[in-house]
Amino acid sequence: MKNIIVKANAGALTNFEVLDLLNSRGASKDTTRVIASETVSRSEYKVYDYLMETAASTQTRDSVTKFSDKCKGFKLAKAEILNIINLRPSSDVELTPILEKPDEREIDIEGILALVQELLPPLPTVEAHKENEQEETEDGEQPNMETSV
Amino acid sequence: MFCLSELEDTVRVPPDLLKLPLEVAIKKVLQKLFLDKVFSLTFFLLSIGLCLFIYDIKSAEGGFVLPGDGAPTYKVVFIIVVFRPFVGEVIAARFKESDSNGLRLTLGFFEDIYVPAPLIPRPNRCEPDPCNRNQMRWVWIFEEQEYIIDDSYQINFRVENISYPPVPTERAEDAKLFAPMVITGAIDDDGLGPVSWWEGCSERNNEDDDT
Repeated sequence: MKNIIVKANAGALTNFEVLDLLNSRGASKDTTRVIASETVSRSEYKVYDYLMETAASTQTRDSVTKFSDKCKGFKLAKAEILNIINLRPSSDVELTPILEKPDEREIDIEGILALVQELLPPLPTVEAHKENEQEETEDGEQPNMETSV
Repeated sequence: MFCLSELEDTVRVPPDLLKLPLEVAIKKVLQKLFLDKVFSLTFFLLSIGLCLFIYDIKSAEGGFVLPGDGAPTYKVVFIIVVFRPFVGEVIAARFKESDSNGLRLTLGFFEDIYVPAPLIPRPNRCEPDPCNRNQMRWVWIFEEQEYIIDDSYQINFRVENISYPPVPTERAEDAKLFAPMVITGAIDDDGLGPVSWWEGCSERNNEDDDT
């Protein structure tokens, strides 16, 4: 296999963008995961499952783009903005490990947290995830409702 | 933790795929070659990371059939989505297992994340796990409270290092499966470790400010 790396880094992707790509390949539509296996492999499903438990699963392209734009005023590195989008910190203590040397830079922590609160949807809750698991066994319908055969 | 990488390769499209549109056929061949592989070209001292899926085919030239071969070969430039975190990145993971050397965390699609003992917050202790005879478990002791590290909560860690060990030429019978990409993580900082450790922390801080 004689391959050449043209560009090792041709652009960073947020978790949201990767989830979006997987969805566009049909990852979300097929709960049995058999039909879509032509386009979505088992390992891609593992990535999908991971991302669905993170902030990416409730984000929209619009909210992520708006957030990135508004971050420009906070003097953050691109990698830090990406990390904030992926993790969606909601408190000081969740935000500081993402920032490099926060004490030496004058970073408006409160401002960033307010922007996160305003623009990025909240994390998926654990209860919601459990509900989804129950729904999947009934093909997306509530356990108490009539199931179509 | 994900990015795009652009690669060039010569791709041989087997005859049974030729009835498909060219782009689809090439994608199929590439998927097989790259899927799930950690691609590392030590010659370039550069490593790509864990290849996940093909993002796009930029160009495909050629299609010449070499003598003696029944299949055409193309020179293809394509873009793949790879998993390659950056050093300093904070990532949400789950507990996989632990032993006296430290913790092992997992993302489901990637399981070679290790938090060595020195990067677990101190003071701590390591004791045999009462629920699992074969494991050791780690416990952080802070202000006389004990914080156990187990699989009950998401664990946030910071990437300290990524290494791409060379493929071993010989391996012992019972050796662990070879891991072509290994991430070393740290949880010994504010906000890192099991998320339950930090829940309600901002409220506590506010209380302190008031007194």
